[in-house]
Amino acid sequence: MVGEKRITLFTVLNTIILTLVAVVTIYPVIYIVSISFSDTTAVAQGKVFLWPVGFSLDAYQHIFSEDRIPRAYLNTILYTAVGTFINLLMTAVAAYPLSRTHLFGRKFWVIAIVLTMFLNGGMIPTYIIVQKLGLINSIWAIVLPNAIWTLELLILKSFYENMSESLRESAVIDGASEFRILRSIIIPLSKPALASIGLFYFMGHWNSYFVPMIYLNDTEKYPLQVVLREMLIFAYAEETQVEGTKALTPESLKNATIFISMIPVLIIYPFAQKYFAKGVMLGSEKG
Amino acid sequence: MNTAMLNPKRGQTSKWISMLQHIKRDRQFLLLLLPCIAFFAIFRYGPIYGLIIAFKDFSVYDGILGSEWVGLEHFRKFFNSFDFWLLFKNTLLLGLYNLLWSFPFPIVFAILLNEVRNQRFKKSIQTFSYLPAFLSIVIICSMVIDFLSPSRGLINQFISFLGFEKTYFMIAPEWFRTIFISSDIWASMGYEAIIYLAAIAGIDPTLYEAAKVDGAKRWHTMRYITVPAILPTILVMFILKAGSMFRIGYEKVLLLYNPMTYEVADVFSTYVYRKGLLERDYSYAAAVGIFEALIALIMLLGANVLSRRFGGKSLW
Repeated sequence: MVGEKRITLFTVLNTIILTLVAVVTIYPVIYIVSISFSDTTAVAQGKVFLWPVGFSLDAYQHIFSEDRIPRAYLNTILYTAVGTFINLLMTAVAAYPLSRTHLFGRKFWVIAIVLTMFLNGGMIPTYIIVQKLGLINSIWAIVLPNAIWTLELLILKSFYENMSESLRESAVIDGASEFRILRSIIIPLSKPALASIGLFYFMGHWNSYFVPMIYLNDTEKYPLQVVLREMLIFAYAEETQVEGTKALTPESLKNATIFISMIPVLIIYPFAQKYFAKGVMLGSEKG
Repeated sequence: MNTAMLNPKRGQTSKWISMLQHIKRDRQFLLLLLPCIAFFAIFRYGPIYGLIIAFKDFSVYDGILGSEWVGLEHFRKFFNSFDFWLLFKNTLLLGLYNLLWSFPFPIVFAILLNEVRNQRFKKSIQTFSYLPAFLSIVIICSMVIDFLSPSRGLINQFISFLGFEKTYFMIAPEWFRTIFISSDIWASMGYEAIIYLAAIAGIDPTLYEAAKVDGAKRWHTMRYITVPAILPTILVMFILKAGSMFRIGYEKVLLLYNPMTYEVADVFSTYVYRKGLLERDYSYAAAVGIFEALIALIMLLGANVLSRRFGGKSLW
């Protein structure tokens, strides 16, 4: 035990390396927040390195004085809430019958589902189907084509398979229907698993830009990430004008938008970790 | 008359009857499964069927069935186009570099983290390390562009502080791959380390104790216990990554590239997006998509064969 306490060169080096890793990881996030709270001129002069310089809430005032970003924020909340709810409902309802080992045609259903992980139509045919169904430019184009994620379905299915039979059996003896068993026994008992996959669904919806970008035409329906992407393209315009130095989008405005888009994520992050790690493990087991 | 017809096929009839009985027994389950079946049929198998437009000249008015057949015309056009080799090279190189560079980092990180004795320090480092996994790709790319900006970016400020010329990183083709891969490492290292940390946690602690009694140093236990113990995990992860090598984060490429860097950044999927959804050349883009999916599938199957041969493990 005495040996463990001795400070070796290795321990010192290791601590330095790991601290550097942590700094490099969180520094950009702190930087973004600082920029958003700094004075615009200080930002333009490149004076902000770590903490806000000349604290100001101008960027936030500007954001909330216009409709665009609050609207995008509400859109994101709507898409995420509806999307995650549908995801969880569809996944839970599908995973339950699939977990029954004697289900009629079980092998066929499972193979047909797993196969789609390796074979898929890709971007263009999917777009055409969504278009044909008349979903373009509506929330359903975002929510329905991804109502079930295959990996999440398989994870929940194996969770159900490992659940104890006895509660279900007593409910069957009491004459409960399968819908009832699912609603009042299986779903309440699988809350930890649902929270774990729900987190992945939530993050997926909250952070997605590509799907809403291709399926939504009205700028009024854009979620936050698509609006952010447009701000990014403006940043590019500046970047590619080699001689030009004038910023088309003020840095503070963009970073303030980034920060408000991160708030829910940062709030759930400490709580989510546990589920997140569990989800990664389950996912990796399934390959 | 009915019975006379049924009798010779009695076995088959009873099979049908027992099937019907099974369906009847499972009717509640099958009803529950119905939304799932509908979902997979429409949104997963529908597009696979829709791939026939790659062999047609798809027009929105004629529909998938009504459009005219053109056979392999689109494929021929693609293979003969100047873009083909460029895309092939970019996709392959970006995938290969990404595999080779971003693969070792989470492993080293996990091993180093495991050597930390102070639990609180260990926990907080790990917590910080997977913060980027929670951020959207748009935010990550936005950070990348900010930090590399020639006017205000910290990296360029540092470069000019040292007395060198500022670099316009985002429009320099020679920098694209480095930027793409290093930002990928930054974003995914902590998250991917989780798997290795779990593998390390599964090692029998008595092994370390025995080694310590024998006078082994940290370096020795790391090299002769930790690394060999997690080698199977490393192998499986490598094969998984190799299998999905062609599935490059095109959403990220779309955010980071621009016409000045197309020559190194354009990959199959971004090309499909541009041709198909921006230029509305549906059939041609679908053909490119098929080609891409085919290569990806071959890679996955190949990686699986390799894994079975060398690791004794198969993904399915």
